Amino acid sequence: MAAYKESLSSRIFDVFNTLFMIFIIVIMLYPFLHVIALSLSETSEIMKGNVNIIPRGFNVEGYKLILTSPQLWIAYKNTIIYAVLGTFITLLFTSLMAYPLAINDFVAKKFITVYLTITMFFSGGLIPTFLLIRNLGLINTIWVMVLPGCVSAYNVVVFRTFFQGISPELRESAYLDGANDFIILFAIILPLSKALLATFGLFSMVGHWNSWFDALIYLNEEKKYPIQMILRKILFVSNASAANDAAQVMIESRLVHPKNIQMAVIVVTIAPIMCVYPFLQKYFVQGVMIGSIKG
Amino acid sequence: MKEFIRKCIKQRYLFLMILPGFLVILIFNYLPIYGILIAFKDYNVAKGVWGSDWVGLKYFKMFLTNPMAGRLFKNTFLLGLYSLLWGFPAPIILALLLNEIKNDAFKRTVQTISYIPHFISVVVIVGMLAEFCAVDGVFNKIRVLLGLEALPLLAYPQYFRTLYIASNIWQGVGWGTIIYLAAITKVDPTLYDVAAIDGANRWQKVVNITWPTIKPTTTILLIFNISGILGTNYQKILLMYNTRTKSVADVIGTYVYELGIQGAQFEYTTAIGLFMSVISFILLFIANFISRKVSETSLW
Repeated sequence: MAAYKESLSSRIFDVFNTLFMIFIIVIMLYPFLHVIALSLSETSEIMKGNVNIIPRGFNVEGYKLILTSPQLWIAYKNTIIYAVLGTFITLLFTSLMAYPLAINDFVAKKFITVYLTITMFFSGGLIPTFLLIRNLGLINTIWVMVLPGCVSAYNVVVFRTFFQGISPELRESAYLDGANDFIILFAIILPLSKALLATFGLFSMVGHWNSWFDALIYLNEEKKYPIQMILRKILFVSNASAANDAAQVMIESRLVHPKNIQMAVIVVTIAPIMCVYPFLQKYFVQGVMIGSIKG
Repeated sequence: MKEFIRKCIKQRYLFLMILPGFLVILIFNYLPIYGILIAFKDYNVAKGVWGSDWVGLKYFKMFLTNPMAGRLFKNTFLLGLYSLLWGFPAPIILALLLNEIKNDAFKRTVQTISYIPHFISVVVIVGMLAEFCAVDGVFNKIRVLLGLEALPLLAYPQYFRTLYIASNIWQGVGWGTIIYLAAITKVDPTLYDVAAIDGANRWQKVVNITWPTIKPTTTILLIFNISGILGTNYQKILLMYNTRTKSVADVIGTYVYELGIQGAQFEYTTAIGLFMSVISFILLFIANFISRKVSETSLW
């Protein structure tokens, strides 16, 4: 490389490429900064249209309204329950199903593989699934938020591939020591698969955190709504005044701008993800890698 | 046969392990596939899917003779096509440009930041979009600077597709680079050195070394994207559209939601869903066939 002298055009390209990457950073971060700035700005500054990425004045009334609304805390609690339970079921059922498929002489291996593969290409679609869930009486229950889709063919295949990478001798020697397959899976295989569980656990958590459509069609009581549904309501359905009665009064007396409230809910909704993102980023990327090697 | 049964008994724990996942998939994947039958029936809850009376292709004819169908097809197809044309190359270009960044720390920073929007929910994305498109929002400030009139952009059909596609790209482009960057790391670095000795410039290296390496990945993803061209993200559109933009925003997915879930026309909307699945399947076959002829990369 040392002998290779860079041409002028190559250096010009580097300059533009670097500028372009800085542009990408700005584009990616600007909306978040703008939302935070709006959520914290004075009513008068918002009305004058002065807010950019730095809060003008300092106004936490929007946050106060949101955080004193019981609705938000109930939704937060619901979301955490759906996410934790859903993720637990996903990891448990996926591991259980993937383990036998990683064993070469499992008699049903071929059948189960075909059984799974078919679901990758065919699905019933929105309406038949909706009817089924209605007929099963799952509407407005916690199960509708955690069971459908908890086992996906793709995840089972990734788990199986990962388990196959673990030395089969471990299993065989445990077998000779009298351990059964459940003990082998939970005491030997899963402790060796922490990275896999962490990665897919995170994906599942984020998926539940961000999901809203299932709640829209399957839940009909607000006290069961996850956080995204409350966000949807405050942003699109009934304006910011829906946060609570106090909000309406404060908007009318110009103590708080509807945007303060709307942007504050957005911040409160994405805050948990943003807080863990920097630390867990590598696991997310790893997840794509594990998946793409197979695919 | 005896041998087989003995083996099954010996592997009983393995069967027990399969069971929960097997049942979940049977119930939530296979039963809805069976439920598609109502597309050919006059569905009666009391009689069940099988017991309901057959009506043949009634609902398919109903859809194809519906004057709305043309608009729905056009909107779905155009939105999918434009999404593909703009959205598919974006992460490839970004990945190739990122690959040319020599400072590793800077490169990693750009990557880490560009992944963030991927983790944001559709509700938040559309909420931000609505704020940016408001009359006093950021996009209109830019419009005013350019001497244009401030407009509530989400209420104008001519901006709908651009906003939908641009926000999709904003959300997905960074995350989309991961798979290409992973493919690029498989390039043997000595190839670049050899090419440099031969006097190749950077553009030539990209065209002759990097691009051929990521081409199979690109082809596979392209096949999937083409077959998914009709699978618009209707959940996002449900949050984005309004009566004024419906003329372009109305797609098959939103129509099925409105008539099926809200209007309880189950058989009709199931028929529409099935019809669209069949078309997507045909697209997958065609894309795969062309790819096999042209580039020798195929799914099967």
